[in-house]
Amino acid sequence: MKVWLGLGGLLLAAIVVGSYVGQTFASPLDLWRALQGDPSMSSRLLIEWRLPRVLAAALVGALLGLGGTIYQGVFRNPLAEPYLLGSAGGAALGATVALLVPMALSQVLLLPVLAFAGAWGATLLVIGIARVAGAVDAAGLLLAGVAIAAILGALRSFLMLALSDDTVSLQVVMSWVLGGIQTPGWSGIVLLLAISAACLALSLLLASRLDVLGLGETMATAFGLNIPRFIMIAVLAGSVIVAAAVAFGGLVAFVGLAAPHIARWLVGPLHRPLLPASALIGAIIVTLADAISRAALPPAEIPLGLITAVAGGPFFIVLLARRLRA
Amino acid sequence: MTVLAASHLVVKRNGATLLHDVSLSFGDTGSVAVIGPNGAGKSTLLKVLAGLEKPTSGSVRLGDRDLATISNAARARTIGFLPQHFEPHWDLTVRQLLQLGAERATRLAADALDRIRAQFELGGLDGRRWSTLSGGERARVLLATVLVVDPPILLADEPAAALDIRHRLDVIQALSVRGRERLLVVVVHDLDLAFSAFERVVLLADGEIVADEPAARLIGDPRLDSAFGVRFERMRVDDGWLLRARLTPA
Repeated sequence: MKVWLGLGGLLLAAIVVGSYVGQTFASPLDLWRALQGDPSMSSRLLIEWRLPRVLAAALVGALLGLGGTIYQGVFRNPLAEPYLLGSAGGAALGATVALLVPMALSQVLLLPVLAFAGAWGATLLVIGIARVAGAVDAAGLLLAGVAIAAILGALRSFLMLALSDDTVSLQVVMSWVLGGIQTPGWSGIVLLLAISAACLALSLLLASRLDVLGLGETMATAFGLNIPRFIMIAVLAGSVIVAAAVAFGGLVAFVGLAAPHIARWLVGPLHRPLLPASALIGAIIVTLADAISRAALPPAEIPLGLITAVAGGPFFIVLLARRLRA
Repeated sequence: MTVLAASHLVVKRNGATLLHDVSLSFGDTGSVAVIGPNGAGKSTLLKVLAGLEKPTSGSVRLGDRDLATISNAARARTIGFLPQHFEPHWDLTVRQLLQLGAERATRLAADALDRIRAQFELGGLDGRRWSTLSGGERARVLLATVLVVDPPILLADEPAAALDIRHRLDVIQALSVRGRERLLVVVVHDLDLAFSAFERVVLLADGEIVADEPAARLIGDPRLDSAFGVRFERMRVDDGWLLRARLTPA
C-alpha cells in the first residue's frame, strides 16, 4: 500500500513539475489558479497547451511501462524491450507510411492501424528469426531485434528521403523518429486516457498467464498453459500497446526496459501488481523526461527520445553487464 | 481400475526413434519406478504420459478419455508433473510459487495451503525467494507447488537426482507414501532406491519396454543386466537386495 501511495504521489509531483517548466515557468499556484478558471492568457495557455502535453507524456509513459512489462514477461527476459526488439521501429515505419504515402483513407484512422501492423509484424519477425536460429535466449532475441530495427530504420529513412516534399513536412516525421510527445487537445487526452485504460485492462487479463509462463516452458505446459497460443495473444496485445505509445509519443527508448525493472524491485515479479506499478513508473519517468526536454534549451525542445536514450542507455549497459557476468 | 494407459506409443524426433511401440497401463493407486540406461526414452515417455509432448503415433488414455481431447486446465488439475530441472525465470517467493500452483484448481480446500506447508515443512520459508533456497528446500517447495492441488496422478522425472542422500530419501519417502492413495510414476536413476521404495518397476531400453514387473521380482532378472550392459552382483540385505555393477568383459 505504501508503495502505491508513494508512486501515486511521485506521479502527481512529476505532473506538477512538468507543468512548472517550459518557456515560461508556471508555479503550482499559477496552475491552481488556471484550474479554477482564471481567464488570463497565461492561465489559458497552461490549460490549453501545457497541461495536455504533460498528461499526454504521463500516459505515453504508462503505455511504455505496460508494453515493456508484457514483452519482458513474454520473452521471460528482463532485457526485452519494444524499442530494442524492433517493435517500436515497426510501429514508426507504419506511422511514416501513414504520414508520407498518400492514401485514400484518412490519416487519423490509418496512422494507428499501420503503427500497430508495423509493431506486430516486426515482433513476429524477430520471434521467427530467433526461433529459426534456435536461440530464443536473451542474446538471440536482442541480436535479431537489432537487425530488424536496423532494417526498419533504413526503410523508414528511405521513405522519408523519397517521399517528403513541400506538402509533408519532414519535421513531423522526424518528431516520431526522435521521440516526442505530441500536444493533443483535451479530446485527444480523453482518447489517450481511454486507450491507456483499455491497455491496462487488457494486460491485466494476461497477468496470471504471464506468471505461469515465467515458470519455464515445461512447468507452464504442465500447469495447463498453451504456450504458443498464449505467446501469440500476448504479442498481439503488446503490439497494440506499443503502437498506441508510438502513435502519441514516437520512438522513446529504454522506458519500457527501465520501468518494469524498477517496478520489480518495488512490488516483486508477479504481474498483477507489476503491470500497474510499471505503468506508474513509466508515467513518472516520461513526465520528468518530457519536462527536461522542454526546459533544458529554451526555446528549443530536445527530442524526448534523446533524453531517455542518454539516461536509459547506461541503465541498459549495467543490466547487460550484470546478466552476462551471472 | 485403470486410470492412465498408453497404447502403441511411437515418438520420433529429428529422425531418431525415441519410443518404439510402448504400451503400458496404471491403476489409480500404486508407486511405479521407470528405470533404464541414458537415452532409453524415460523422460520422453513421462512427458507423453503427462500430455506435455504429443506422440508421433499411438495414444494415451486418461480414465475413459483420450488425453489429447482433454482441456489443458483439466489435465493440469489431474496430472501433476515434476520436471527434472526447474528454474523459474523470475525470482519468486515461496508463497508466490505456492499461489501459482494453487491457481490450477477450480476449487481449493480453505486449508490446502496450510496443509501442504505443514506436510513439506515449509513453515519458515514463505517469504524467501527461490534464489536463496538450498537444493533440499527447492525440491520440497517444488513438490509442494505441484501437489498443492492434490492431483490424482503424479509423474516425476528424477525429482531427487540433484539432492544429497538425506534429502533424496526425504523426497522419495514423501512420494512413495503418496503411492498408497494415488498413482505415482517416477523416473529414477538410483536403482537401489527404485527397487526399495517402489512397488512396480518398468525397465526401458532403446525406446522399448524390456520388463514391467513387481520390484521384488525384477531385481533378480537377468534382463536388468543386459539392459544396462553390466553384470550386477546382488547382495542380500535386511529388507531386500543391493546391486553392485561390474563391467562385463568385452
